[in-house]
Amino acid sequence: MNTDANTNGFLLKVDDLKTYFPVRKGLLRRTVGYLKAVDGISLAVKPATSFGLVGESGCGKTTAARSILRLIPVTSGKIIFDNIDILAANSARMRDIRASITLVFQDPFGSLNPRMTVANIVGEPLKIHKKITGSELTEQVRLILSKVGLSADAINRYPHEFSGGQRQRIGIARALILKPKLVICDEPVSALDVSIQSQILNLLKDLQQEFSLTYLFIAHDLAVVQFSCDIVAVMYMGRIVEQAPVSELYNNPLHPYTVALMAAIPKITVSPQASTHRLKGEIPSILSPPPGCPFNPRCRFAGENCFSQNPLLVPVAGNDEHLIACWHIKK
Amino acid sequence: MLTRGFHLADNTQTEFKPPKGVSLWQDGFRRLFRRPIAVICFAVIIFYFALAAFIYLAEIFHWQIGFTLWSQATGPSYQPPCRENIFGTDIFGFSVFRRMLYGAKTSITVALCASIISIGIGVPLGAVAGYFRGIVDEIIVWAYSTLSSIPYILLIMAFAVVLHDKTIAGFKLSGITSVYLAIGLTSWVDLCRLIRGETIKHKEREYILAAQSYGCTNSRIIFKHLLPNVFHIVIIIFSLQFVSFIHAEIILSFLGLGEADKPSWGAMINDARIELARGVWWQMVAATVAVFVISLALNVFGDALRDSLDPKLRVR
Amino acid sequence: MPEIDTLLSVENLSTHFFTQQGVVRAVQDVSFSVKKSRTFAVVGESGCGKSITALSIMRLVPEPQGKIVAGKINFGGRNLLDLSKKRMRAIRGNRIAMIFQEPMTSLNPVFTVGYQIEEAIRLHQHKSKSDARDLAIQALQQVRISDPKQRIKEYPHQMSGGMRQRVMIAMAISCKPELLIADEPTTALDVTIQAQILDLLDQLQKQSQMSVLLITHNLGIVAERAQDVAVMYASRIAELSDCKSLFDNPLHPYTQGLLKSLPRLGFTGKRLYTIPGIVPEPLRFPAGCKFHPRCPVGCNDKRCQTVEPQLRSLDNGRAVACWFAPGYERPDNPK
Repeated sequence: MNTDANTNGFLLKVDDLKTYFPVRKGLLRRTVGYLKAVDGISLAVKPATSFGLVGESGCGKTTAARSILRLIPVTSGKIIFDNIDILAANSARMRDIRASITLVFQDPFGSLNPRMTVANIVGEPLKIHKKITGSELTEQVRLILSKVGLSADAINRYPHEFSGGQRQRIGIARALILKPKLVICDEPVSALDVSIQSQILNLLKDLQQEFSLTYLFIAHDLAVVQFSCDIVAVMYMGRIVEQAPVSELYNNPLHPYTVALMAAIPKITVSPQASTHRLKGEIPSILSPPPGCPFNPRCRFAGENCFSQNPLLVPVAGNDEHLIACWHIKK
Repeated sequence: MLTRGFHLADNTQTEFKPPKGVSLWQDGFRRLFRRPIAVICFAVIIFYFALAAFIYLAEIFHWQIGFTLWSQATGPSYQPPCRENIFGTDIFGFSVFRRMLYGAKTSITVALCASIISIGIGVPLGAVAGYFRGIVDEIIVWAYSTLSSIPYILLIMAFAVVLHDKTIAGFKLSGITSVYLAIGLTSWVDLCRLIRGETIKHKEREYILAAQSYGCTNSRIIFKHLLPNVFHIVIIIFSLQFVSFIHAEIILSFLGLGEADKPSWGAMINDARIELARGVWWQMVAATVAVFVISLALNVFGDALRDSLDPKLRVR
Repeated sequence: MPEIDTLLSVENLSTHFFTQQGVVRAVQDVSFSVKKSRTFAVVGESGCGKSITALSIMRLVPEPQGKIVAGKINFGGRNLLDLSKKRMRAIRGNRIAMIFQEPMTSLNPVFTVGYQIEEAIRLHQHKSKSDARDLAIQALQQVRISDPKQRIKEYPHQMSGGMRQRVMIAMAISCKPELLIADEPTTALDVTIQAQILDLLDQLQKQSQMSVLLITHNLGIVAERAQDVAVMYASRIAELSDCKSLFDNPLHPYTQGLLKSLPRLGFTGKRLYTIPGIVPEPLRFPAGCKFHPRCPVGCNDKRCQTVEPQLRSLDNGRAVACWFAPGYERPDNPK
């Protein structure tokens, strides 16, 4: 199903994406600065794989996802999807692209229109793009609902009659009904109960296999990303600080932020070394990032270079797939 | 093994009828009508509307039923309330009671038409302003800010005077038409503001973002997604504004700008000004009682509506 | 457990909500004890009743819909449920303090941070304004907020989430409570900030020997920070144990399922274990054991379907509410 790809073999290629929000102050609303939500990220996603974007709040991962779909105006950069330049596409082209890239949202309560039936919610994308209505539409809706584990009973019901996990399934059904190539999952399980999370994560994996989907998976929980993704990129203050295949990142994290992030996750098997890697301080305000590497106020290893120049994302010696942006790790 | 009824699918569907869900509207109205006070007020409102409708039809089809014949002398001039005439008679000997009933038709018609005009202007403008923001928003806000800065009475009077007895596109504006046009054209501001505010709030919700992400056009989003979610405000405002429209009609009739020859509560109060000096109180009382009852019913019902229809107040 | 060591003991607590749709039995027959200077965690998913349990201890259950219908809460030799409202107010914030999940909505946005801390101090300790101010600055120092003299003049919206939570903690400990109830204190915070806040709570606990009742849904936090734990499911306690034993050898099928289904760092499997079904709604609790529809052992068992198991104490100080528990052969250790 997913045979089309960029000549380089990538379904999605993002080059130096920057999304800045102007900050306006004063009576004349003059632009005094920029909120650099996404400050130059590049990534490449192969078809039928899962690319994970991990980071804490404010790191820009959700903004990046929305920028790729042009739901937020992009400041600069290139986004190539399936050989199409998204940023140069006109509105008609963009509508077609929106049938091929769909979103699964974090909040199962807010991402479904409370006044529409499940049939309408899940079927609307079909109505818009394929102009299908009536019994054929109902049939397609029933089919996709059964794929996500909901019985056809659900079609005339309203979102508030379902539990959080079921609503998330409805959201996933809506995202899949157009048989997209790329599905961007924005924190799909963060708002769900623990015992439901594993159901949804398994479901996403199964659907990926069945429909040869490509995922851009956004999360703040490293354990979830480890299970669901093939390649992981860690974001901090709008930049990617480390990127590697999943097993490589978890066995050999190099960036101080990645190390601290892993150490901070409460684990059931307690490691005695945990508290020595504790990060100090808060995430700096994105309106006034520190000069040089954005991590320097909290980094144990911050050296001279770190305060003046922003490190580039480069491969680690000996491993082309493991990228890191850090002056300290210069082996 | 299942607790909720429908969950893990078994693909054994053949011919079946999926159960109908309970929408938020149904849920809200169910909760509304569980309250006795709401039911009583609703009954009163329905009664007034039914009365108005009946009199309207009687007029069109020339039915000759007792209480609709307001222009029939039923007693001597200025007869005080007695057994034949509950509210006495006016200067012409017409039954004040019958005039009062006819006044219901006038008031309801005016308030209804004014509401339709006000909703028809206020809701789309508010939705468009709130959704698009930017220059469109600035223009609409400027428009309604200007309009609402002019004293309401002056504005209505200005409209009423200008529209009085004018002919637009071959359609003669009778006295009453000018009244509800005036009221409707000046009262859309509050509704517009509220709809704009709610739209701005709802615009940030994820389901709107979802609709944008799968390619919904802006107009589809506004009309199919946003408006149904802010419409409960329209209903609440409708019931509360209805009262002020009835009052506005009374004031206009009182000022002589309404319909001259047909009875209305405002006209009755206007007449009562002179009559009170002569000790004739029954027209005043009749009109006041009629207005008071419907106003109270609408106010109480409007509050009950708000409590029941606001999705945030649902006990979950 | 010897009586001397126990700071708070909850006995057969039941809290119900009386709504139009029926009676919601949010907490049923809950019993546990919090020992001095230890952290006791109550863990469970949404709707299990853990937050209402905490509110019941503080007697902050929203009335008139909510009502504590049964049970005892023994603290400092008295039953808190017998106290007058006035006496309860004297204990709240003073001897028992509480911090909440959302620091933004728990702090009043129109008052400065300093004002709010001072208010808490002056309510309970009858200090003068300047004394209260000094104590407030001290409290901010204790929670590791830099430049406290400047910070007390700031408003909540000027601070980050982690900072606000520290302010909440400062308010809570300003009167040196014996028990701190923390209701999901770090759920709304980022992982790295969460770790800082939990470290802070650990330090404060060691300094002042206070006990902590930690309410959370995160089993990892429980494993790292608590010594004793109660697992709640659908308004009841499923399992009561010390932490080490719980994670080494969970007895209740729900606990076992939960531990197995968590995505963990280092997990290399292709699929996660799942507990089938969904968490039941309070108005539609199943008959018998509330977990039985989802239970791998109990779903077809007649007793589990009809009779609710009580929390039974075992010899080693643990307690389980499951018909299969003692001597139950459990599947692989979830590690």
